[in-house]
Amino acid sequence: MTDLLSPVDSEVRAHVRERAEATRARRQAVSSIMTALCWAAIAVAAVPLVMILVELFSKGWSYISTSSFYTQLPQAPTLFSQNQLGGISNSLIGSLVLIVYACLAAVPIGIGIGVYLAEHDTKPAAVLRTVTATMIGAPSILMGLFAYSVIVIQFGVGFSILAGSFGLAVLMLPLIASTTELSVRNVPHTLREAGLALGARPSTTSLRIVIPAALTGIVTGCILAISRAVGETAVIYLVIGGTASAITWKPLDFGNGLPSTIYTDVQSSYSSQHDQAWGIALFLVLVIFVLSLAARIWSARKQKVRR
Amino acid sequence: MADATTTITAPADQPAVRVEGRKCPSTRSRGPYEWTLIVLSTLFAAIAFWFVGSIFFKSLPAFHQQGLSLITGVGWNPTDGTAPSQYGLLTMIIGTVETSAIAIIFAVIIGTGTSLAINFFLPARLRTVVATMVELLAAIPSVVYGIWGILVLAPWVLNTFGPWLSSLPGGTAVFGTTLAGKSLLLAAIVLAVMILPTYVAISREVIGAVPHELVEASLSLGATKWQTLWRTVLPTGRIGLFGATSLALGRAFGETIAVSLLAGGVVQTNYHPLAEGTSLAAFIANQFGEAQGSDQIPALFAAGLVLMLMSFAMSILSTRLVARQRKAAMAS
Repeated sequence: MTDLLSPVDSEVRAHVRERAEATRARRQAVSSIMTALCWAAIAVAAVPLVMILVELFSKGWSYISTSSFYTQLPQAPTLFSQNQLGGISNSLIGSLVLIVYACLAAVPIGIGIGVYLAEHDTKPAAVLRTVTATMIGAPSILMGLFAYSVIVIQFGVGFSILAGSFGLAVLMLPLIASTTELSVRNVPHTLREAGLALGARPSTTSLRIVIPAALTGIVTGCILAISRAVGETAVIYLVIGGTASAITWKPLDFGNGLPSTIYTDVQSSYSSQHDQAWGIALFLVLVIFVLSLAARIWSARKQKVRR
Repeated sequence: MADATTTITAPADQPAVRVEGRKCPSTRSRGPYEWTLIVLSTLFAAIAFWFVGSIFFKSLPAFHQQGLSLITGVGWNPTDGTAPSQYGLLTMIIGTVETSAIAIIFAVIIGTGTSLAINFFLPARLRTVVATMVELLAAIPSVVYGIWGILVLAPWVLNTFGPWLSSLPGGTAVFGTTLAGKSLLLAAIVLAVMILPTYVAISREVIGAVPHELVEASLSLGATKWQTLWRTVLPTGRIGLFGATSLALGRAFGETIAVSLLAGGVVQTNYHPLAEGTSLAAFIANQFGEAQGSDQIPALFAAGLVLMLMSFAMSILSTRLVARQRKAAMAS
């Protein structure tokens, strides 16, 4: 083959091959550099997150491993008793009460909306779907402003646990509605058709067949909405009153929530308050981890059973 | 009524049709169950409109008093009522856009790299573990990131990093005399750390959903690994990546606690990233307690209104863009 080529041709070929080799080498170099950068991105992403977790555990653990953390009321530090820290029993009960009241409203309404959205493809349903999606994206502080203008001012209730719960409920509603819609839509159509074919009313089919089949997804959605609401600071900080030091469950009282206590603790100049903030933060993170892991494991197991 | 019955009356040869139609459960009949759902949904729609309406009407007095200078002005000067108060939201608007923009740039670059590495470089066994961890991190409340920023990062910048920067040749010229502990940039960096798990949780799934055939086809044509990722994987997943970006950006826009702790809360015209500033949401939280019973409340609701319009505009924009891109992707 090479004999047939003129010297010029072989020169050109050599040149072309050289160029091709150079291009290939350059592309390989770029590829390995960018691959290294992707690895670097993982490292850059992981470092601050790991630092936060390490800091949380090292500073918060000693505090949350004592029983007084859960049973005692906080003690305001003074210059002379800087290290006398009580517990956070009031915020703990406060957060629990806030979430329970919020769930009482948000869970049934949210599930209802979700089922309605999944079963109807009408114009009003489409509008409602857009409203839900927009509400999910709305900044949470707006829910605080809403709760303030409606509950605190318009209804004249004043700063209260009720106002905080109202804000949290408005926050949770669209979350629960959208996860419910998704899991009801994921129920195989054959199940609904089988129910209808057996002569069951559409309402019976929904209540007895479709909703039970979608229950895993619905419950998971509710748990995730709760874990989002537990850590929500801006909403309750605006309307809850915040300075109550007693344990209360009454909806019209001033209240305290765990996240809002962190927020006020951090802004204090006493280092003991900072320690308390780390403790509460670790506790919150653990609660949220447990909630979302439980939701995850439970739904995974249910899915396996169904298959 | 009489009219309706006459038109419905069945012809003589099919007498039973109407009676049976009433007995069998029609999809159009609405029992108590359907009505419950409809009432709940209407209730929610009412709440949503009430939500928008209450923030709008509460902010009207402020606009009434100051007009549009409320949005274009700078400064926050409440008075005791002897002279008209002067409020301006421009600092907060610019602060919101600036912190979110810096945060989203960091988060998208690092997050996309992380998602690519998780999907293509990590061994398969590690992948699910990392995915679970990312989703757990995305669930951490923002106040926890805030406390880390204010108690760990800010002192470090103030005591270690700032002096080091200033000691560099020319450092004082670029960064000012000394770095304050709090700054817009610090808030933006904590925001980036905070929205990173949110972004990665979605972009990881998006990139993982790119068909493997495409990747293999590209590699078999002699493309390098990076060419495959850059020219095949990322363009294929661009709709989903865009959705992830707008979700993370929405979170950054509305973030209250971290920014209120870290940005300094100062209302001024120096928008340098290393200067102190504030954002709409953070300013509302900082000011709300003191504002009780004064004409600051309508002005803060105006800040809320601006924030709401920004966030709604962004969510509409992203829905539109995603829909258009999806249409384009289907056509091609």
